[in-house]
Amino acid sequence: MGYAAARGGLEAIAAAEDLVRDARDLADSPWLGLDQLIDRQRLAVDRVMGEGGLWDPRLAARALQQAEGDTIEASHLLRSYRATMPRFAYSHAVDMDDARVLRRIVPAFRNPPGPQLLGRTTDYTGRLLDRTDDTVARERAEQRASELVVLDSGELGTDQLDTDQLDTDELDTDELEQRTAVVTSGAVSALGSLGNRRHRRLLDVLRDMDLMVDRRRSDDPDPVDITRSATRPPAPRSAVLATMARAETGALVNLWYRNILGPDGYIHEVTLGEVRHAEVPVTVTHPHTGGPIDIGVVRVTEVEAIEDLDGADEERTRFDVGYGLCFGHNEKKAIAMANLDIACHRDRSETGDGAGACELEQSILMTTDGLDASGFLEHLKLPHYVTFRSMIDRKMAMRAAGASDPGKRGTDAPVSVDPREGDCA
Amino acid sequence: MSATLAETLDAVVGAEPGGAATLADLVTEPVDPGILDEHAKREVRRAILTAVCVPGYQVPFGSREMPVARGWGSGGLQITLAIVGVDDVVKVIDQGDDEGVNAVNLRRLVINTTGAVETTEVDEATVIQTRHRIPEDPLSPDQTLVLQVPVPEPLRGVERNMATLAQMHAEADYARMWVSLYEDKVRNGVITKSTGYPCLVGGRYVIATTPIPRWDIPRLHQAPFLSLFGAGRERKIYAIPPDTDVEPLTFDDVPFEVERTPGASCSLCRASEAYLVEIPPSSFGAADGRWICSDTAWCRRRRSEDNLS
Repeated sequence: MGYAAARGGLEAIAAAEDLVRDARDLADSPWLGLDQLIDRQRLAVDRVMGEGGLWDPRLAARALQQAEGDTIEASHLLRSYRATMPRFAYSHAVDMDDARVLRRIVPAFRNPPGPQLLGRTTDYTGRLLDRTDDTVARERAEQRASELVVLDSGELGTDQLDTDQLDTDELDTDELEQRTAVVTSGAVSALGSLGNRRHRRLLDVLRDMDLMVDRRRSDDPDPVDITRSATRPPAPRSAVLATMARAETGALVNLWYRNILGPDGYIHEVTLGEVRHAEVPVTVTHPHTGGPIDIGVVRVTEVEAIEDLDGADEERTRFDVGYGLCFGHNEKKAIAMANLDIACHRDRSETGDGAGACELEQSILMTTDGLDASGFLEHLKLPHYVTFRSMIDRKMAMRAAGASDPGKRGTDAPVSVDPREGDCA
Repeated sequence: MSATLAETLDAVVGAEPGGAATLADLVTEPVDPGILDEHAKREVRRAILTAVCVPGYQVPFGSREMPVARGWGSGGLQITLAIVGVDDVVKVIDQGDDEGVNAVNLRRLVINTTGAVETTEVDEATVIQTRHRIPEDPLSPDQTLVLQVPVPEPLRGVERNMATLAQMHAEADYARMWVSLYEDKVRNGVITKSTGYPCLVGGRYVIATTPIPRWDIPRLHQAPFLSLFGAGRERKIYAIPPDTDVEPLTFDDVPFEVERTPGASCSLCRASEAYLVEIPPSSFGAADGRWICSDTAWCRRRRSEDNLS
């Protein structure tokens, strides 16, 4: 008998769990610790925190470890863990200009206000598979570590070291001096002041130039909490943005590209105004003093996408902007999000607010969640023999009713039978 | 979001307003959090109440992530967790079978986290969670049937836009559903909708009857028991309260047809008046093809009663 009807289903499940756990945990290699995942698989950990909607690197690493590296499965583990807990509070709105910038790129201008801060990226690194012998690679890493310790007797902060890669061509004199000071003194921590500066946004510059459509609203509605409500179109922008912030990265990238090259075509290619990776504090109201209190720091990727307007009813002498922000360092996701945000707005404007015809919004809200999509896909593995028997029943009923079969050639001409006389009742 | 953090905290930790809850309470792990926090259960119960008040209406709710994948009974599981207590006796079936692996998994999650008792006997159960079937035995008014729903929207075959769908339900505009049934009949000679047959509930809302087979549909009509439908992935809950009309959509001159294969009967208990599933022949033309009941507990009891008599 099959897996569904077999007696002893519980034993089968337990055996399957043992197979997974033993193969993973008893593998003939050193234990994969959480620190290793956090330190060396940073982007995977970030992705799981983003798609899991929970900032906790250790829990995300644990989820990745348990899920054998499957990011969607790991996100599921994080989310169902969070579902066991009550919601205590909502954090205060963050002013992203207060963020400590770790990386910042402005493709729209050669010399934007503030730095072009390349930061920790492989954007301009040749995608060559490093085939250095693993032992040699490890020795080199140790050698490099000792060199860096000589350079900076302080704590080895990876994010700070990244700023060593600053492109001097893009710096103004002030920043060049800072950088020189850093390099000569070896005081890496001095770079912190660069990150903490409020960098003027490209958007502000464009607003000064009167090149932006002004869509800022005077009211300040509470954002939709998508973890506590069933958002569906038409939905407030905050719900669409939150859905994308938690969406599966590949789903967003695909939805974006589908609109570039696929049949949908809602998207214009934007020009990126800001791409930032930054640290922001999380602040809540203290339950008893009532004052604001910082309870932690999260890293986010933030993107502002400048959109060219060309629609008949649009302000064609100006630009508009799309916004993307997600947990962790995940630029693909934030860029897709920003571009989809503005595309969604334009689609909705075209079809009329609330008219309900905004198909892109439905695609974003309903199809980009990793848990939803993969869960439903995988449910096809569940037994379906009750429904399949019913489907066969209908096939037989159609034949009894003399339904013609366009795919079938030959002798079986359709028979005219009154369907009411079929044998099913 | 209107409650202050302090109020929320006090409610959660059970402290007097403005009283003893400290930051230590904030960071302390709750004792046995289960798999769904109490606030979420309350939210699900509120959605259920709305659903019962408006039979057949799909009530949106803030579906939580369960330790089972979405599409694997996460909606049914949230309903069951929200309504069971230590006094409840829970039966879980998948395809009619208590021992199906997914039924086993869901049952152990419910039992291990709620203190409810498990059973495979219909008449002992207070809550029956099911995927794809209604038990063959009649249920009583003090029993609740919880159905796992993969796709709660009955009109999706005729309309994809969700805002338009909401409007069609609001206006009871089911014309396109009727047209699609008519076209199906004209093209195929029969209505070919197999499971999840669309039904009009209480004369008002058309629902998707999960994918239960047509065999089970007549037993929803004027049923003495409460049926709760949970769609976790699509964040919807709907209900058929007791004593409610449930009419499958069909034409006056086209009778609603349930699954029936002439001559088929269960090879174990010989029942012919039950929902049977086929075990196909081991090879083409072999004579070992046969039928068995999909409701395994019902079939087993019939056999034991036969032996006793």
